[in-house]
Amino acid sequence: MQNNDDIVWSIINKSFCSFKVNTKTQKFCRHEYNLTGLCGRYSCPLANSQYATIREEKGIIYLYMRTAERTAFPNKSWEKVKLSRNFEKALQQINENLLYWPNYLKQKCKQRMLKITQYLIRMRKLTLRRQKKLVPLQRKIERRENRREEKALIAARIDTAIEKQLVERLKKGVYGDIYNFPQVAFTKALASEEVQEESDDEREEEYNEGGREEEEEMEEETRAALEDATEYVEAESDDEDMESDEEHEFTDEGPEESEVEDIEDMARPSTSKGKKSKVSVEYELEEALPEKTKVKNRV
Amino acid sequence: MASALARPLITVYSEKNEKTGTSVHLPVVFKAPIRPDVVSFVHHQMSKNRRQPYAVNKDAGHQTSAESWGTGRAVARIPRVRGGGTHRSGQGAFGNMCRGGRMFAPTKTWRRWHRRINVNQRRFALVSSIAASGVPALVMSKGHMVHDIPELPLVVSDKVQSFNKTKQAVIFLRRIKAWTDVQKVYRSRRLRAGKGKMRNRRRVQRRGPLIIYGEDQGLKLAFRNIPGVDVCSVKKLSLLKLAPGGHVGRFIIWTESAFRALDAIYGTWSSPSSEKKDYNLPTPKMTNTDLSRLLKAEEIRKVLRTPNKRPVRAVRKLNPLRNVRAMLKLNPYAAVLKRKAILTIQKKHLDKQEFLAKKTGVPLQKTKQQVRYEQLIQKRKEAIQKSKAAKPKTAKKAKKAPAAK
Repeated sequence: MQNNDDIVWSIINKSFCSFKVNTKTQKFCRHEYNLTGLCGRYSCPLANSQYATIREEKGIIYLYMRTAERTAFPNKSWEKVKLSRNFEKALQQINENLLYWPNYLKQKCKQRMLKITQYLIRMRKLTLRRQKKLVPLQRKIERRENRREEKALIAARIDTAIEKQLVERLKKGVYGDIYNFPQVAFTKALASEEVQEESDDEREEEYNEGGREEEEEMEEETRAALEDATEYVEAESDDEDMESDEEHEFTDEGPEESEVEDIEDMARPSTSKGKKSKVSVEYELEEALPEKTKVKNRV
Repeated sequence: MASALARPLITVYSEKNEKTGTSVHLPVVFKAPIRPDVVSFVHHQMSKNRRQPYAVNKDAGHQTSAESWGTGRAVARIPRVRGGGTHRSGQGAFGNMCRGGRMFAPTKTWRRWHRRINVNQRRFALVSSIAASGVPALVMSKGHMVHDIPELPLVVSDKVQSFNKTKQAVIFLRRIKAWTDVQKVYRSRRLRAGKGKMRNRRRVQRRGPLIIYGEDQGLKLAFRNIPGVDVCSVKKLSLLKLAPGGHVGRFIIWTESAFRALDAIYGTWSSPSSEKKDYNLPTPKMTNTDLSRLLKAEEIRKVLRTPNKRPVRAVRKLNPLRNVRAMLKLNPYAAVLKRKAILTIQKKHLDKQEFLAKKTGVPLQKTKQQVRYEQLIQKRKEAIQKSKAAKPKTAKKAKKAPAAK
């Protein structure tokens, strides 16, 4: 209708249009007011100053119209008419609003309105059923997080933590007497514990005499109680062995090494520990000997 | 219907997007022919004018005293470096295929970098692009977000020219709804693809609105820091700003004084330009460009002859001697002759058979057709006799009358 339509179309078609999307078989138009979605001479909203579309906002269908007089005022160019929810009435509304308009626009408007009503119906039906929400995963982030998980796993050092926990529990006496430890190793462990206690006690006495005494006492008592709890079976026999072992241990071994050795020994439960005092039990002297030799070398 | 060259009134908007009372007649520049081909060509040429020469060192590849070893040495004949004692000795030199040789056709600084364009062509392109900036469809198709501005072409009061703070400029753009275009520029900021990145052309962004002023009272300072926004004086319009990329339809915001000055600068068709010597706007080839409307117009339809809806197509010639219908078309009596011929043949055949039958004494077994034929002939004879009997008198009378005379 307007002077410029043909010029505009020749420019848009042949050179550049920012709304045009080209595929191998078809040209699409991304303009929001386009009636068909395709790029063509009579469906281009830019190349036709007299134009009409149907658009839907929040479930309500509107008819938009534009005439040649209003194209110069982009603000006010589109006239919006709300269409009835009744399909037949809406068709009639289209007919009366687009009376004397070109048939092509009328037809396409009606078709578009039909499509829109159909998909709105479908949307309403879908919301009644289960809603699946699609959440897009971002590959980069997923990969990064997985790798970090692995690293965290390694950093946590779970096996060592478990080990510690088990040893603690053993000390506490949670397991009772289920485990058989080699006599020598066990006594050493005990001795090392005692050594630790003594050294700790000495240190504490040096530091504080006033306030912490009670605590110290508590600690000593608890420790004694614990030791008593663990050792009540072996206490009779161990006195003899402890004296002999103590001499060695003061000079040579550190508590750490003995603990490690204890753990190693505990891993292989060999001789029974319980029956030492009265019954003669086989000592695995071969195990003990290498320890002593080791000790000597370290000196 | 308003003529194509009618000049509507454009209202001037205040810097707060209210209509001031003033309105300006649309300058005739906006009615100039829009020629994207001219604009593209001129833009192409113009953009070459800002180039800096580049070339390879003129000695590159030739700073050796290499000589070909000639034939007979079981090596290729390319010049080779003289001497000995290094890797380089004996290696090929000089050729574009050699390592360390000069390139093919070394680039020279005296390449023709700049292009001259005819003044009239330059002005034509400029005028075309101004005209295109007044068509909302073209501005939108270029990608500018102008769906909320009050009018196109957009003319704003001269107060804008005295802005000196960017804040004022931003508020102004927001008020007249040109800010969405600037936002688009922000969103389009990205790194260039390719080696331009390391050649000081790292970042790329879209172009935003262009502000054309009559007099700069600080406007340049206010708008220069807003990304995408360009500023230009009416007196010094440049095609590179009006049609960036060689495509028409940039979004332009005019100040009132700039808009009013256009008529004087470019002239109207009735009066030439007062600022440019001897210049008038280009005349369009078609005053009314609405082709579809023209073809439906009564004035034109009346003069045309009636359309030929049924074109006669060439028909293949059929030989009448071979094709019966073609013969009949030409000579309808041929049907009679042919029929007669067929019948005589049949009769003769029948007669012969009867004769033979008589001779041999064998009674003839006649086919159905032959039987019917005989019957037919009998009937005809009877019919003829009847009709003769019915009209004897008239025939005799007719004979008698001429006899009497």
